[in-house]
Amino acid sequence: MTRNPLRTTAAVTLAAALALSACSTKAGSSGASGSDSAGVKSGVGVTDAEITLGVMTDKTGVFKNLGLGITQGNELWAKDFNAEGGVCGRKVKLETVDHGYKADTAKTLYPQIEPKVLGFVQLLGSPVVAALKQNVLSDKVVVTPASWSSELLDNPYVMIVGTTYDVEMIDGLSYLQEQGMIADGDKVGHIYIDGEYGKNGLRGSKHYAEQHKLDVKEVKVTSTDTDLTNIVTGLKGEGVKAILLTTSPTQTGSVAAANKALGLNVPLMGNNPVFDPALLSSPAAAALDKLYLVASGVPFSADIPKAKEVAAKYKAAYKEPANIGIPYGYAVGAVWGSVLKKACENKDLTREGIAKALTETDSASTDNLIADLDFSKPGAPPTRKVYVAQIDPAAEGGLKYVKPLFQAPDADKYQAPHQK
Amino acid sequence: METTTLIPTGPPATRPRRSPARLVRAAAWIALAVLLAALPLYIDTAWLKAGQYMMIGAVGAIGLTLLTGQAGQLSLAHAFFLLVGATAYTVLAGPTDEERVIGLGLDPGLALMGAVLISALVGLAFAPVAGRLRGIYLGVASLSLVFLGLYFGQSLDSLTGGTSTGRTPATFELFGFPFSNGGPEIEVLGVPIRQAERIWYLFLVLTAIAFVLARGAVRGRVGRSWRAVRDNEAAATAMGVGVARAKAGAFAVSSAFAGLAGVMTVLWFDILKPDESEYGTYGINVSIAFLAMVIIGGLGSVPGAVVGALIVNGLPQALTLFSGDLGWFGETGGGGLTPILVSSFIYGAAIVVVVLFEPGGLAAIGRRLTGLFRARPREITREETS
Repeated sequence: MTRNPLRTTAAVTLAAALALSACSTKAGSSGASGSDSAGVKSGVGVTDAEITLGVMTDKTGVFKNLGLGITQGNELWAKDFNAEGGVCGRKVKLETVDHGYKADTAKTLYPQIEPKVLGFVQLLGSPVVAALKQNVLSDKVVVTPASWSSELLDNPYVMIVGTTYDVEMIDGLSYLQEQGMIADGDKVGHIYIDGEYGKNGLRGSKHYAEQHKLDVKEVKVTSTDTDLTNIVTGLKGEGVKAILLTTSPTQTGSVAAANKALGLNVPLMGNNPVFDPALLSSPAAAALDKLYLVASGVPFSADIPKAKEVAAKYKAAYKEPANIGIPYGYAVGAVWGSVLKKACENKDLTREGIAKALTETDSASTDNLIADLDFSKPGAPPTRKVYVAQIDPAAEGGLKYVKPLFQAPDADKYQAPHQK
Repeated sequence: METTTLIPTGPPATRPRRSPARLVRAAAWIALAVLLAALPLYIDTAWLKAGQYMMIGAVGAIGLTLLTGQAGQLSLAHAFFLLVGATAYTVLAGPTDEERVIGLGLDPGLALMGAVLISALVGLAFAPVAGRLRGIYLGVASLSLVFLGLYFGQSLDSLTGGTSTGRTPATFELFGFPFSNGGPEIEVLGVPIRQAERIWYLFLVLTAIAFVLARGAVRGRVGRSWRAVRDNEAAATAMGVGVARAKAGAFAVSSAFAGLAGVMTVLWFDILKPDESEYGTYGINVSIAFLAMVIIGGLGSVPGAVVGALIVNGLPQALTLFSGDLGWFGETGGGGLTPILVSSFIYGAAIVVVVLFEPGGLAAIGRRLTGLFRARPREITREETS
């Protein structure tokens, strides 16, 4: 009979399953915790010689250039930080995984990387950050998302490095008004991508509009729309005095081209992600002179000593084309450095210790890569200062500053969604 | 699906009740069940998470294989019904006292059943369209539902939480027992049974129920009427099958499976976040992934759909986890091979290979393999089409 082998197989499988379940390897696992000879408490991700920090980035998906830039910025920082002696006698080590901008992959990778790390210096992608929110809360692990939405600040373990999109908009609008490009009571258009990014930018422009009786014409687009000419035509019909952008770089190019072609010629003002140096080699390049950018982080080629230093180190270490991710990734590292040093002073390198040190960090300096950051007020953006930049094809990286770090009075009074 | 069961093969009354083959099969099923039940005691949370994701795929794919394989209706709307199920669960089980979003505060168990029912009803509402179109035209028409879902997900903030922040679903509970880290501390053989393990068992039960129901439908009168309609509507009518009714039924049943997969999705992600673009969790790429599962598995085959889900949903996850464990692929550098890239190549190649060399999919290969073990010459049995 040929069925006997099958029966035997089944019986063996059953027996094996029972046997395996009886001697599980998973039992009794626990994080190494305790204190070292100097009395510094340590926990997950910290040994006597090393502190491991996690990087969940995108090396294959739609944001792979940005992800790579930020990761390389993180690595440059870790190298410098360790060269200066590290913290508490320990060197920093980065544990990098690629989720390809896919929330499902990130959700599976997280339990694998989480037991190895003290915190995350990089968590790229708003779908990924959203999907991991509950994990971050239950594991009490401090994370730095590469997203600047103030909606994320309801989570006490989120460390946003820079200004949030809503505050950028308020500062930007007050710059336009200060320069006489808009006045109280004017009509302005705001084109935004529906989602965490665009909605947060819109929140800022709506707040400013309330204060100054502006009439905001909201136009919602999806991230994949590329030709916005008809939208600009519509805004022209409305008689807008300026167009605000919380869009992708391609969309910015389309709006700028239409703005010129239709003879509208109003100022365009956008959040930090609306510009990419690649736009300068696109057909829209000649139309970008009306574009103003508001950002809290400096571009790669900024005329700031620290930025120049990072740029030089980058060119020595990597060969990929540079982008804004590099100084940002370095700045995030520098903030983590401050927090780690604070935690070391408190003799507590556990996750709780990091979360506590974060709230005690009220002036983390990044040598002007980003304005000084204050994490001591839960729910509030850590800084409200921005630069305003204009496109300058002659400059390396395509940007020149028209206004140094400043903070508008309206931004100061603005109540972020989760501010206490 | 290459065999047709329209030819009456006679009642199966002659089948012996306790044939040894049946015993072997039962033993194999029990062994599989025990193995799956023992896994959480053995493998890490990350792998459990990956396994749960495969089960989500399996439930959804079973639904699609019934619709596309058994009833012959091409649908690209699966992701939309996932969104319907996910939203329905979150709204039904959501707390009533939140000011930003609507919640009905139902018991999560009831909410799960309600979500499945709502998905089935929404599927039924599409039946007038499904009944009039076929083939690629139905595919395109059903695709419109995905874009409707995208639009409603964005605009109905009070239900979905909106694209900006999304919405956290209620923890699943059954008779007061939470499927989270809370509640009673349970240890089995020294392994704490926490959220990942609890959700594993929940999903295992849901997948088993979905599997058994689908096999039952395929083997029963309903399945025969679906196949009759698929193969020849005129002949089906002549044999007394209500074509419109069979088509509508298939769509509703398939939507119910997708709705259940949607509930599982939202429990797996711990968040309901309607998509910002058409390529996200409830977007067109998910519909296409489900189609790939049923094609790789073999159209119309329920076990095939499950295996297809293991490949399509499981491969990227497994490869990334392996590469993390074993340190495959380089640590830095942008242009290199990464697990995500490799798995998309394999998944694409699998579809091409199946379509070229074995249109019956893995189910046909499986049938051939089991055929090797059988001593007597093969005859067409009812299992062939399931």
